Amino acid sequence: MSIRDLTSMAEAQGLQRKEINERLKKLQNDVSDYCFQCAKCTSGCEAHKLLELEPHKIVALLKKGLIDELVNADIIWTCMSCLKCFERCPQNVAPVEILYALKNLAVANGKQIPGQYTAILQSVLSLGLIQDIQTMTTKENITIKRDDLGLPPLSKPVDSATFQTAIMKLALEKI
Amino acid sequence: MKKYGLYPGCLMPTEQYSYELSLRETLPLLDVELVDIPDFSCCGEPLKSVNKMMTIYLSARNLALAEKHHLDLLVPCPMCHLALSECKRILTRNEEIHEKITVTLESEHLKYTGKTNLFHTVDLLHDVVGVDEIKKHIKTPFKELKTAVHYGCHLLRPTDVGRPVNAENPQKIEAILKAIGLKPYDYAQKLDCCGAPLLVNHPETSLTKTGQKLQAVQTQGFELFVDVCPWCHKMFDSRQTKAGETVATKLQVPVVYLTQLLGVALGADIKKLGFNLNQSPIEKLLLE
Repeated sequence: MSIRDLTSMAEAQGLQRKEINERLKKLQNDVSDYCFQCAKCTSGCEAHKLLELEPHKIVALLKKGLIDELVNADIIWTCMSCLKCFERCPQNVAPVEILYALKNLAVANGKQIPGQYTAILQSVLSLGLIQDIQTMTTKENITIKRDDLGLPPLSKPVDSATFQTAIMKLALEKI
Repeated sequence: MKKYGLYPGCLMPTEQYSYELSLRETLPLLDVELVDIPDFSCCGEPLKSVNKMMTIYLSARNLALAEKHHLDLLVPCPMCHLALSECKRILTRNEEIHEKITVTLESEHLKYTGKTNLFHTVDLLHDVVGVDEIKKHIKTPFKELKTAVHYGCHLLRPTDVGRPVNAENPQKIEAILKAIGLKPYDYAQKLDCCGAPLLVNHPETSLTKTGQKLQAVQTQGFELFVDVCPWCHKMFDSRQTKAGETVATKLQVPVVYLTQLLGVALGADIKKLGFNLNQSPIEKLLLE
């Protein structure tokens, strides 16, 4: 099974979409009840200053049920997950969780995942970690790796085949 | 001696060696023993945008492994710490997800019950070891350098999930730094993000974020910048020169891990604290 299956098998991901849709539905109910558009989330948003993400607008659009439009918008991928919106909301709404759910839905719908996410996903599936041991350069221009420093072996999934099967099954919701 | 399993995560054991070296060198001096556990995987946090279910599973898997070894965990990366804490919270509250995860864990011969306690470097040092205990072990205190502290977003927020430090006015690292002789001051940008989470899909903006924070720190005359997160350190230390370019400033802020400083103060062998891997200008700090 390849990365492609994981990100584009729309049919196999029916169950998964159901779960995300339920999550969104619950979030939508929450915001409808609680968010009064004070925009405190946007005033502290780290991504707002540089990339013009406006969490309160995302919340407003979700309230109106414009989920398809949101899922297809590039702006949802600009969140820095600094979690200030969640922390500071006077009504305990979590715009950051809404953004996570929207991004999850975009992926489950088979939309192209931006940037290096695919590479990270591939690495976690094959190695169990986001990257393998890197060669670093010291101040004296000497290149060193983990074992040169006397550090113990890297802790990673021992039985990678079982690990892969487990995680793939879960991702594709065929349990 | 207190015993903890070390959950290294991904970034620290694969490139942020100075954090790992200094942790392993410093904690035994304070009667804390770290136990290596094989078979750990990623905590799942970097994949939360792609598939949250996968994040929960990866976290649960690591927690179940710790249970198998009957150990509480030291989680030095704030991002991993949040992922694992959040996983515990979700599995307690959501039976449906709990069941799904349990079934999948069985295929890896693991069982999750949720009894593992989690510690980050900061609360382990401040709450478990204690500042008074640290004071007793100090061999070479620092001279009073004006120090800026960076906690990292995932260590601070969200309070809702339960975090080791106060979200709006964290002072635990400051207390430790004062104990070893340094002079930490608050600054307006203290709670701001380092930019690292955007490295994945907006690398330039991510560096601008880093640059802006370091520029503010430099302008305010700080002589030292302390962090406790491998992601933040990667941005502030390894990429400092590049970050400076994004804000058109020559940045020269010495950036070090809290554990590196503590190691020096507690009399550990300086050569074993990984200072040669810091890319920021730290020479001045070590000569003094």
